[in-house]
Amino acid sequence: MEKGGKGFSLPPQTARKSSLKSNPQGVASLKGKDDSSTKSKRGKKVQFNFEGSPEANFSPKSGGKDETTFPKGDSSKWGKSDKTSTGGKNSISKEPQPLEFKIEQELPENAKCMMDCEAVDILQGIKDQMVILTRDPEFRLPVSFDKGLQYAKRGGHYTNPQLVRQVLETLTKYGVTDGEICLIANVCPESVDEVFALVPTLKPKRTKLSEPLQDVLSELAKLKESASLESQMERAQVDIPDN
Amino acid sequence: MFFHIVLERNMQLHPRHFGRNLRENLVSKLMKDVEGTCSGRHGFVVAITGIENIGKGLIRDGTGFVTFPVKYQCVVFRPFKGEILEAVVTMVNKMGFFAEAGPVQIFVSNHLIPDDMEFQIGDMPNYTTSDGSVKIQKDSEVRLKIIGTRVDATEIFCIGTIKDDFLGVINDPSAG
Repeated sequence: MEKGGKGFSLPPQTARKSSLKSNPQGVASLKGKDDSSTKSKRGKKVQFNFEGSPEANFSPKSGGKDETTFPKGDSSKWGKSDKTSTGGKNSISKEPQPLEFKIEQELPENAKCMMDCEAVDILQGIKDQMVILTRDPEFRLPVSFDKGLQYAKRGGHYTNPQLVRQVLETLTKYGVTDGEICLIANVCPESVDEVFALVPTLKPKRTKLSEPLQDVLSELAKLKESASLESQMERAQVDIPDN
Repeated sequence: MFFHIVLERNMQLHPRHFGRNLRENLVSKLMKDVEGTCSGRHGFVVAITGIENIGKGLIRDGTGFVTFPVKYQCVVFRPFKGEILEAVVTMVNKMGFFAEAGPVQIFVSNHLIPDDMEFQIGDMPNYTTSDGSVKIQKDSEVRLKIIGTRVDATEIFCIGTIKDDFLGVINDPSAG
């Protein structure tokens, strides 16, 4: 695959041209699908010979990719996204790269990312304190505070951030970064496929990561369940005095 | 995504605030000045969570003001390219729709909405699939991916997409 990728960077002009237009790509990837379905697995190698023409350039990639990483036939739609995450890095200029989630490069060193559920704890704590602390009638929490809290509450699927972090931190030994961990926690995915689709930076580690990730997700599902149970209990408790 | 971060700021304080409550005054001024602001590098400062250190004050020549370097911890919210966010739709039109995730505005162009979703005009403009099973309208919750950000002095504006795997309306399990 990599060999092929390097080869593609040879005609930079054609590559750049096609990256600007989105339609030709789509067409190409569709064609790729057809190719792969008829030529089956052999397609991957064969098509490397067609590097010259830009159309063939793209078709083997998506076609070949679909064969290898997405054994399900119905994933053909996503040939395009595959390209942006893997093949794209090598050949299609710089455009697809920003789509990769790389917080670490953009953040100052002393910053630490937080999961939404952690943010809820902190912000709610501040809000509760504010009611008591501020005697200054002019002082008001800014709009962005309320919006932030609202957002975090909606997105925070878990009630026990420490536990969630503990579970997810087992992934760090597989090279998953802090930012990716928080993203997984915020997105609250249900399947391993979902994680790899949403966090493309993890794809290169797919073989190593799939199994531990599955374990982590099932743990998280339990936590989520208990969280929703807890909130139901709370509601029930609130209801009782009314009766 | 939310972050914990330590920032520094030079605070100018009028002499009438000096005295026993100097620290308190300094902190409350810091909160008023900083909370709710937005910078391109750090994003929205949502809340100050603590003061790390207040340095020695320096009298400004010609005025009575004193400048104190203050190091403070705060919670910031900043969207990143490639990040997945859950946002609430605020407006729908034929160009696409606007959504809000916390303090951040996100625009999803109709090119970045799945092709099978058509714009429907009416009292409640919306994007609907041909079979009507999935609908995006005001107040819908969508999961989207940030593909671009633009920052100005007081606002962060993002471009998002829902034309990808596992993105789209959240409440509806058939969406994707």
